[in-house]
This record gives sequence, C-alpha cells and structure tokens, in this order.
Amino acid sequence: MAHIHLGEGSFPLWALVLWTTLGVALVGAVVYRIRKGGIKTHQIALAGIGAAASFAIFQLNIPVWGGIHMNLTGLVGILAGPLLGALIALVVNIFSAALGHGAVGLLGANTLVNASEAIVAYYAFRTLLRMDWDIFPAGASAATLGLSAGAILMGAIIVISGVNGSALPRGDLTIAVAGLVGLNLGVAVIEGILTGFVVQFLASVRPDLVGLVDRTTSEESAGVTA
Amino acid sequence: MTTLSNHVPDPRLITAYSEHREGPLHRVNPWTKVGVVGALVLAVTVVESLPVLAGLYAATLVVYGIAGLPYRRLGYWYTLPLLFVVSVAGPLAFLEPGVPIGGALTTPIGELSVTWAGASLFGELTCRSLTVVTFALTATMTTRYADIAYLLGRLLPRPIDQVALLTYRFTFVMIETLEDLVKGVLARGASLSEFWANRRIYARILGMTLLTAIERSERLVKSMEARGYDGDITLYGDVPRPPAREVVAVVACYAGIVAYTLVVAYQVIPV
Repeated sequence: MAHIHLGEGSFPLWALVLWTTLGVALVGAVVYRIRKGGIKTHQIALAGIGAAASFAIFQLNIPVWGGIHMNLTGLVGILAGPLLGALIALVVNIFSAALGHGAVGLLGANTLVNASEAIVAYYAFRTLLRMDWDIFPAGASAATLGLSAGAILMGAIIVISGVNGSALPRGDLTIAVAGLVGLNLGVAVIEGILTGFVVQFLASVRPDLVGLVDRTTSEESAGVTA
Repeated sequence: MTTLSNHVPDPRLITAYSEHREGPLHRVNPWTKVGVVGALVLAVTVVESLPVLAGLYAATLVVYGIAGLPYRRLGYWYTLPLLFVVSVAGPLAFLEPGVPIGGALTTPIGELSVTWAGASLFGELTCRSLTVVTFALTATMTTRYADIAYLLGRLLPRPIDQVALLTYRFTFVMIETLEDLVKGVLARGASLSEFWANRRIYARILGMTLLTAIERSERLVKSMEARGYDGDITLYGDVPRPPAREVVAVVACYAGIVAYTLVVAYQVIPV
C-alpha cells in the first residue's frame, strides 16, 4: 500500500468528527472552485474514468515485500490536476470503503491524506518541469514527494487523534507510528519510481497529457484499445 | 506470478452476488442498509468493551452467513483490513503499559513484552475494523447495481455524483482492460514475478491502463455531448423509502447506541 487506510473505529468520536469536518471543508472548497470555474464535460469524464482506472490498478498485486497495492494517487494528481485529483481521491475512497477496504467513518481523514498526495504531486511536477527537469526524474520525484506528504500527514493524524482504547502517551504513540510512516515512505519511493516510468511512457505516446504540448494541438487519438 | 489479487474484493464478483443471488438481505431496502452501516460506524467508535465489540462482530458474521454469502472469500478479503490493524495495533500491543503476558523478553533496547492491555487493545481494534468491513461487504453484495447507482446519485453533491456514477460504470471495464493487458504480456513471454527487473513492463501496463482510460473518456465526452449532456446523468431507477418496520429497527439501533454512549461510554447519565 502506498497510502494507508486507517481501520474503522481506530479513532475516538471527537477525532472522527474533526477529520470528517476538515474533509468536508476540503471537498466543499474543491466543489466550489470547480462549480465557480464551470466544469466541462471532458473533466467529468476524465475524473470518472480516471478514478475507475485508479481503483482497478489497486487490484494488481505488485511483487515487492510480499505484495503491495497501489492507487497511483500521485500520478492521478499529475494527470488530472489538484481539483479533479482531490475529487478522484474522495471517490476512490468511497468505493474502497464500500468494498471493505478503508474505513467508512474515516472517509474524511483518508480523503485528506490522498488528496494531499495528488495536490503535492501535481504542483511538484509542474515546478520541476519549469526547472527544466527531464520527465522521468520530475515524475518520480513529484510522486515520491506527494506520497511522502500523504504518509507524514497520515502519521500526524494518528498521533493527534490517539488510538481508541489506548492509554499510551502521545510520545510513545509517535514512536509506534513512526515505523508505519517509515514503511510508507519506503513504498512511496517505489511507487514514485514506477510513476516516473509511467509518466515517461505517457509522454512518449501522448505528450499533451503531461502538459508537454498544448492539448488542443494533439487531436489524434493514440488508438489504444484493450 | 503477478495477477489480480484474490485478497482484494473483485467488484465483478460482488456485483454478481448482488444481481444473481436471492437471500433475505437482498430484500432489505438499500436505505436501511446505509442506515445500519452508519449505526455500526458509530457503535464501533463509542463502544470500548471487548465483549460487546466481539458480540457486534459475531452478529455481523451471522448476518453475512444468513445472506448466503461465502465465508471463505471473506477470509481472503480480511487480509488488507487485518494488515492495517496489525500495522497500528501490533506495535501498540508491545508498548501499551500493563501486566506482561508470560514474562518479558530481554533485548538490547530493553525488555519486550505484550501486556494484557495491549492484547485487549489488539482484539478491540480487530473487532472494530472487521465488524464494519463485514457489514459493508454484506451490504454491497446484496444491493443491486442500479440501486447502488441511485444511492450514489442521491447522496453525493454535484459534480461528485457524476464522477462517482461514471467511476462505478467504468470500474468493470477498467478491471477487464488491466486483466487483458496482464494476460497479454504474460502470453508474450514476460515474467512479472519480480518488480525491479520488470519495472518498465509494469510501467507500460499501468500506463496503457491509464491511457485507455483517458482515450475512453475522450470518446465518452463525444457521446455524452451528442446526447445533450447538461451536467446530469439521468437515473431511471428508484429506491423507495424503507418500510416502517425497517425504519423502526434502524431508529432503535441509533437510540441504543446513543443510550450506550450517554450511560456507559461517557457516563453523562449516571446509573
């Protein structure tokens, strides 16, 4: 897993309310920005099918450390942008929770974690491209940065909330969670490298998708079918 | 060999159960199931007694069985939720203060032991997580595709509902696309057993999956606009309000949880 879905009931009630409120505020702000700017049909279609692809990719078992699963949220952020990336993170979390993966009550917290991955990855990628980085290192670094931000936010959310039923002081809890964050940072590097290769591949067949050429100049489909 | 996982629930199998099986839970109103999921989330958050949590978990397991759903599959699907429990509660079981179980192991960094409080916490977190996982799967495996689409359309604000409806529709297509791509590279002699040696093949599979998704979305835009799409994917289905007895049952669930919270969990009302 490149991002952690916290288990149901892990947090006390006040934390559940807090993260849900913050998650709703983030999604509300995104929806407001999208509605204000006027969402185009192609953005709806891209977000819907992009979320489906992200959800499908999670089904693939990657043979690292016995098997890990990835949603490629960093890549989704790079391709779809910060606003649609945040919406995709929410929708993927809703579908994951409905299938028993992730927590229904922690949709707010999980959306904050995953949306931060997509948003940080997008802005990092754009910044690195402006600094004349090549596609592979820019994609890999941006995704790694985004996923690392998500992992650290996930750890911070656990430490701030505390674990339901645990008498452990915050300092000791921080030590316990540090291992989990460290493991996620390791996976972030692997997913970052994989994202770099995927971005490089996409740039070779559809450079408009990663912003290398104007989208309107690339009207021809690559003709990709399953 | 890398394939699609059997420990991650396959939406196609879940939909097959909801569409082609007929059990007692299939006849329960979808709104009622949503209400029960909310009640269970609240319950596992406020209840702190291991026997009560274990009872709740046992009850959801019984409901899962009554619905005629497969326990063996459920065992596979528990892999990821249990991994998350272990990743959080595992270290806590050792760090939690209390009386050690069966003595302590001396290590260079000090004595290491699982305490009774740590083991109890592990059990609590496991029951909390698996209770909702089990019922969420029960609900999705007994609710028809059209009904889930209707609930998504009603519960989520625009444009999230539109994105969610397209995601639900195309999840099945994208999984088949990914499966075809994996089969294709395996048929051409590739080995996906090691990640690093095959990183470019993985990138190509994932890149092609995303590219297929994007190209499909571009074709979809044309067909949506040709049909006069104005920001609303019309849903022709309808999920009626739940019958009175189901409403009473859901209200009773919430009332019980609120009473438990006030009396036992937070002791706002002394007994």
